[in-house]
Amino acid sequence: MTVSDFSTASTIAPPLPPERAERGYPANDAARPSFAAIVASLHGRTGKTLFARVLADYFLLSGNRPLVFDTDFTEQTLRASFPFDTIVLDLSETRDQMMLFDTVAARSPEARVVDVSHYVFRKFFKVMHDCDFVSEARGRQVEPVIFYIADRNADAYEEGRQLRERFSDCALVLVENVFLGPLKEKTLRSAGYRAFDSHELCMMLPLLDPAVAAAIQEAEISLSEVITRPLSRSDGNPFAGLTFDQRAEMRGWLMKVFRDIHRVTRAAQSRAPQLAPIDY
Amino acid sequence: MKPVVLMVGADKGGVGKTTVTRTVLDYLAAKNVLVRAFDAEHPRGTLQRFHPDVTEVVDITTAADQMKMIDTLATSEVKVSVIDISAGLLAETLKAFTDVGFFDLVHEGEFNFGLMHVVGSSVASLDEIAEVLPYARGKHYFIVKNFINDTSFFEWNPTVYRNYFRGAADAVEVNIPKLNEMAYEQVEIAGVPFSDFVGNRQSNGQVANNSLVLRGYVRTWMRNITDEYDRVGLLDRLYDRTAAAA
Repeated sequence: MTVSDFSTASTIAPPLPPERAERGYPANDAARPSFAAIVASLHGRTGKTLFARVLADYFLLSGNRPLVFDTDFTEQTLRASFPFDTIVLDLSETRDQMMLFDTVAARSPEARVVDVSHYVFRKFFKVMHDCDFVSEARGRQVEPVIFYIADRNADAYEEGRQLRERFSDCALVLVENVFLGPLKEKTLRSAGYRAFDSHELCMMLPLLDPAVAAAIQEAEISLSEVITRPLSRSDGNPFAGLTFDQRAEMRGWLMKVFRDIHRVTRAAQSRAPQLAPIDY
Repeated sequence: MKPVVLMVGADKGGVGKTTVTRTVLDYLAAKNVLVRAFDAEHPRGTLQRFHPDVTEVVDITTAADQMKMIDTLATSEVKVSVIDISAGLLAETLKAFTDVGFFDLVHEGEFNFGLMHVVGSSVASLDEIAEVLPYARGKHYFIVKNFINDTSFFEWNPTVYRNYFRGAADAVEVNIPKLNEMAYEQVEIAGVPFSDFVGNRQSNGQVANNSLVLRGYVRTWMRNITDEYDRVGLLDRLYDRTAAAA
């Protein structure tokens, strides 16, 4: 499998409405909406920031260099991974809210990845809801997708259910991180969990050898380099002293997650209501 | 339907009276009520800057302009007139309207009259209320507490408060919630109705480039105000329909 297999450029390209073409929007821009991936989880330590990184690398390898937004003002983990493309924000400031939502909804070809810290979870979705972000973004050819990472607790699923209801016009991908361990009994019985029984957009972060998992957590490791660099070369970054088998496992894990991301973003895009109540 | 006059006034400046008037104009427009507005802030006219299509600047102290407002009430196609009274002129205007017999016509049922009295958070406001009360009796009297620009709560002594309001048994209390400062500022700069700011329109009708976050703040705030005006039955009271429970 090569990088181009992941490209989002190929299949879905709705024909340009004539009135749009007349007004001179660049054809390829209008035909190819960019994604705004919003990564969130109710609690901390769910692998959210790692997943945001994987998403950013997925877009990078697809030829959509992403803009990355980190809402964790104190830790700024993502900035270490993408020092040149990461904007760190303090959502308690109106100015930063504008920087985030106005930029993410702007008409431009880059993919956008937003890592929503659990500290600002409610604030983020309140502002997102109040500013009618989904239809505003869609009106500018940006397709938002919420990646919601559940954890072992019932309240996480319940929150996910409410999120799905509140943003019924936006694709919500349920991400289950196997690394967090089996779900609690109480969770399996909860209404929130069962609400996702027939949910279409689901994906899983598969289990990973602990040593590999530790290596992958290193913020400085470039995941796209893990994919593009020959496995036979073990020197230095990005493989951090892993054995051949571990390197192969890391790559296999990434490929699997990329493939899932590809599948769900495609599905999200094809389900998106065909364009815009608001046209700018 | 009877012609309606709604006065918005305050006895002192800086309580956001014109902002309240703007919310009322947006509210009425959203309810498909045709409305004309008089801006008594002569000769500048802040209200006129935001709602130029429906607003005329008047000098409320002159007989000529008083006639312009009152004499056209019965003949105008537009049945609702909102008068934004400049700071310090509320009591005086009410007196002038009494002198020309306007309130007699209201009592005879020719017109409907409502008064939105925007008060500040200080105790001085209470004296203001006392001064206006004689004119407000028997009318639709709204006491508007305006929180738009500050978060400080009204620190009125409840006993004093009740004493003042004993004279206005049918006074209705309206609360205008706080609006995000940056959003408020940007609407000021844009110089358009709140609804146009939310709809991303410039004053010339062209598409604006307002921040969607700030538009969101204004939209949510307007929704809350609409709920508040609905709650007190503003429209029903002005139309003299069965007043909604306050």
